[in-house]
Amino acid sequence: MHLDARKRILTDPWFLTGAALLGLLVCLAAVGPVLVPWDPHDISFIPLDPPSARHWLGINDGGMDIFAELLSGLRNTLVFGVTAAFAGLVLGSVIGLFAAWKGGWADQVLMRLADIVLAIPSVMILILLAAFLRPPPWVLALTLAALTWPTTARGIRAQALTLKHRLHIQAARHMGGSARYIIFRHLMPELFPLYLINFAAKLRMAVFMEASLAFLGLFDPSLKSLGLMISFALKFYYMDIWINWLVPPVLLLSLLIMGTTFVTISLENVFDPRLKTAL
Amino acid sequence: MLIFIKKLTVQYSEEDHALLALDRVDLTLTPGRITALVGESGSGKTTLGKAIMGLLPDNAKVQGEILLGQDNLLDFDEVRMNPVRWATTAMVFQNGAANLNPVHRLKDQVAEPLIQRGTPKKQALEQARNRLTAMGLAPELANRYPHELSGGQVQRGLLAMGLILDPPVLILDEPTAALDAVTKSFIAQVIQDCRTQNKSVLLITHDLDLAGALADEIAVLYLGQVMEYLPGRHLLDRPAHPYTLALARAFPAMDAVRDLGGIRGDAFYRMVHAHAADNGHTHVHTHVAAPDAFHQGGHAPPEGCLFQPRCTQAIPACALGSVAMEITPDGDHRLRCIRGGIAKILAFRQVAKSYGPVTALHPTNLTLMAGEVFCLVGETGSGKTTLAMIAAGAVIPDRGTRTFQGRDMDEWMKKDAASLAPCIGIIYQNPAESVSHRLTVFEIVAEPLRIHNTVTDEAELTDRVRSALSDVRLSCAPEFLKRYPHELNMGAIQRVCLARALVHEPDLLVADEPTSALDPSVQAKVLKMLLNLQIEKGLTLLFVTHNIGLARKVADRIGVMSEGRIIEAGPAARIIHHPDHEYTRTLIRSAQGLSRPLPAGSL
Amino acid sequence: MHSFARHTCLTPVLAYLAAVLVLAFLSHSLPRMLPGDFITAMYGSSDVTLTEQQEAVLRTHYQDDSGFMAFLGRLLRLDWGYSHAFLAPVSALFFDALPWTLLLMGTAHLLSSLLGFVLGVEAAWRRGTCMEKAGVGIMTVLEGIPELCSGALLLLVFALHLGWFPAAGAQTAYADHTFVQQVTDLLHHLALPLTTLILAYFPGNFLLARAGMVMVMKSPFVLIARAKGLPPVRVRYAHAARNALLPLVTRFGLRFAFMITGALVVETLFSYPGLGTLLFNAIAMRDLPLIQGIVLAASIMVLGINLVLEYVYTLLDPRVAHAS
Repeated sequence: MHLDARKRILTDPWFLTGAALLGLLVCLAAVGPVLVPWDPHDISFIPLDPPSARHWLGINDGGMDIFAELLSGLRNTLVFGVTAAFAGLVLGSVIGLFAAWKGGWADQVLMRLADIVLAIPSVMILILLAAFLRPPPWVLALTLAALTWPTTARGIRAQALTLKHRLHIQAARHMGGSARYIIFRHLMPELFPLYLINFAAKLRMAVFMEASLAFLGLFDPSLKSLGLMISFALKFYYMDIWINWLVPPVLLLSLLIMGTTFVTISLENVFDPRLKTAL
Repeated sequence: MLIFIKKLTVQYSEEDHALLALDRVDLTLTPGRITALVGESGSGKTTLGKAIMGLLPDNAKVQGEILLGQDNLLDFDEVRMNPVRWATTAMVFQNGAANLNPVHRLKDQVAEPLIQRGTPKKQALEQARNRLTAMGLAPELANRYPHELSGGQVQRGLLAMGLILDPPVLILDEPTAALDAVTKSFIAQVIQDCRTQNKSVLLITHDLDLAGALADEIAVLYLGQVMEYLPGRHLLDRPAHPYTLALARAFPAMDAVRDLGGIRGDAFYRMVHAHAADNGHTHVHTHVAAPDAFHQGGHAPPEGCLFQPRCTQAIPACALGSVAMEITPDGDHRLRCIRGGIAKILAFRQVAKSYGPVTALHPTNLTLMAGEVFCLVGETGSGKTTLAMIAAGAVIPDRGTRTFQGRDMDEWMKKDAASLAPCIGIIYQNPAESVSHRLTVFEIVAEPLRIHNTVTDEAELTDRVRSALSDVRLSCAPEFLKRYPHELNMGAIQRVCLARALVHEPDLLVADEPTSALDPSVQAKVLKMLLNLQIEKGLTLLFVTHNIGLARKVADRIGVMSEGRIIEAGPAARIIHHPDHEYTRTLIRSAQGLSRPLPAGSL
Repeated sequence: MHSFARHTCLTPVLAYLAAVLVLAFLSHSLPRMLPGDFITAMYGSSDVTLTEQQEAVLRTHYQDDSGFMAFLGRLLRLDWGYSHAFLAPVSALFFDALPWTLLLMGTAHLLSSLLGFVLGVEAAWRRGTCMEKAGVGIMTVLEGIPELCSGALLLLVFALHLGWFPAAGAQTAYADHTFVQQVTDLLHHLALPLTTLILAYFPGNFLLARAGMVMVMKSPFVLIARAKGLPPVRVRYAHAARNALLPLVTRFGLRFAFMITGALVVETLFSYPGLGTLLFNAIAMRDLPLIQGIVLAASIMVLGINLVLEYVYTLLDPRVAHAS
């Protein structure tokens, strides 16, 4: 990464706020089991009990501790998001780099494939899969990755193509650098900002998808999820319990998406605006 | 429409400092005259054009006046400026196609100013088509989108667009950059037509050929400051400012015969910034940002001539105090140079020399300007070596006066000969003979230093010798320093001679047939090196040769000698392409080689 | 993305056609890939109780071995199966729900695109002012709030607690209204879901338009337009914004899949009788033919919209139109 860009990123208030939010939420998810002694699946408490010193956010209709549910849901959402984003990024980068490096018909075939995959509305595939097969979340995360790689692949390919023709990389080739050496030593490090932007954008999309699909009831109902919590909590809107049941997951989900949004927008602004990739 | 620009200063403010783009520039645009603005990239040329249009970016701080009639355009806000734009002052911007909106057709963009000023659409499009046709664009091209046009067509379209409201003032920013020769000459014709139509034209360009051919007056801009105002026809032939000369020398004109020379050093930009001074106060100052710190704290001197660090004739006084614009004695040029422009380094008046009954040199006048390469060409016995040695102070003339660095040379030699010798370096025709075979390379190069006792400290002596040797691209290894001349080839010996001539950093180098004893391949290398040294060190070079083919590759000016007289002298390009004297023509023809048949009776 | 639209007009059409085939093939083969007696497995845990006859119909529907081409044929004849949860043909249910979705989504996209574009352009023009900075800040924060959250809060506050707007439905049922009353009633029901969607779409459009405009404003041709002494509005819209529109259109297509997810959520939240709610109910009751029908038909519509956008893009950018 260019030093100047690094300095600008590290002094951008949007990036700092976003990174701080994400860091906080990841910590919260990680230390969850330490923070709350209750198992989120334990149904042995008094249903709809208001918040107390023992149960910070009270108990839901099924007799489970809401705070424990919340942290468990956050963890599941994060794991889903990171899995989908990381897998999508790796797939997209590898395909993009390969297409740019190989060129010719391999490039043609891969990019036409990207056109097709890009045209498929990914939600629809996820809904079909979830409805028919009821797969575990990681399968859905990988499916999402398999449907969203083309945006990354295109961005990486375009940038790698321009880089490939830059003089210093040409020079490295003339010096006898192997393809392996040039890809690993020159191309991949120079594409670093693109990885960051793509990861942040994909994370945002995956978290959003997970919450929405869980809300719609497409995920395994036994797994805690922020979206599912919102869906259940809304059924008890007529009671005051919404303050400690509905608002926390809404807030947490908003903060999570906000964090990724801030980081994405900030990265896009700092690095060449032409690098902008689609969400 | 007359435009007076008075003391125009533009600063672009950045985060903690500002860039000074224009510094108190005065310029007058007169109807029926073409004023050209030349200078390197970053000299502020485009900023001036944008300032007239009121199109400077928001971070620009402007001072001074741009007077259009009674109005100062700098006082105008957007609302008052808008009617002036294009109707009174139109501008053709640089970078061709990027200036056209990619989603609109050419004719619509050309007609747009008319339509927006109330001309009915149909009529406006008709006018636009006529303009485009007048610029040599076929009617069907008018319907195209910008990406469907070639670079030349775009430039013609932009000109048509600039002229659509028939503005009395036209500003052209690099109108011919990256264009083919045909389009270029067409555009030059259009610009000349603007002059006949009594428009005021400002031509911003770094194409000196175009500026020299078209402009009535030229302003030479360096780092935002005008260095010289001169008539266009003088640009390539008779520049008065060292910077103008350097620009002209670097420009690849069609008839240039000498190899291109760069300008030493790099131009950066001028910063205005504030930081704590030694005495604890914050102090705001301007300076030239440069990579090498020739001033404490990485600052170039805030005062003095801007071009001074790169100027080859700079004297200590150049770095002190600001330099005012002054008119030259001939009245044609206005200059910003305390040395009064390019200095005369050597002047002969009626200098003559005889050896007994043989007149080697008839009374001769000659002036050498600082930093130029003057070639004396002539056959053996024409008196060129005599003249060169008189210039070098090695031969005393019988008659006439010779002035070196403004001092009478004969008087100087009488009083203080020892201080004159280090100012002039000499290289001789036969290198092998001009060095002692008993001395090592080190001793040969150190000899002038020892003779003049310039350096007493042995370590410093070694340093000086080494740097002189590295200047001529010779090894500084101890083994090499211990070599004797007979162990070296002829090219190396000549370079040792050159190092010896340069070890005192002379102002004038007299080279008498320095390469005639060398193989052509070695000769080419030595000459290249000599010319590079001349640019870097700013030497004045008096180069004596019998080979006019060689002279045309190295000379700024050529003097042709025959029978003890300079029969013809002038800019190298003119002497080579339009010789006045029959003898010169013969020289050129014979230099064209034996492979070409000579016209009957030419010898 | 430029390259997306830049190749010849034929390529996107082929890509979309291929995408439709992939989707159709997937929905054709998924039920057949399931092991064992999937009808029993699926409907065993659902809220629908099937008669033996119904079960037989389903079995023939899913175990129909007439092949993929026959499946495509039925798809085109709108023979999408029978919903046992709603006791109606799938296509009938789909076309009943479609107008409501079109009304909600169409209005939301229209308003948020128009507003987002105009405000984004104006913001870029006023770059560096306090208003612009505040606008960008607010929009960035709003961009970080998903529909699910803003919708849930709006529903809670304005419908359930303040009672200003209805919490569910698209119109008051069985009411005998005049035309004006009917329109008011429709708008009253539309208000909350529409606001939620506009809050979700508007910031993205605003930020994109602004970013595009900031880039275009650096182009020499914008400076020239100013130099020509044109009225500022013309410089801003005919020259700068016209070009800033291009990336907006391509990005719109790419964000579409993202947007449908939000629309599903919003319809479900407000029980708006569109496709989203229908799909939600179908999922809740594990009504497979209905899920399949909605997913396929909706996908084809999305692809169709994308195809139209490609065409619009060629209209907007002469460089693409003339490249082919």
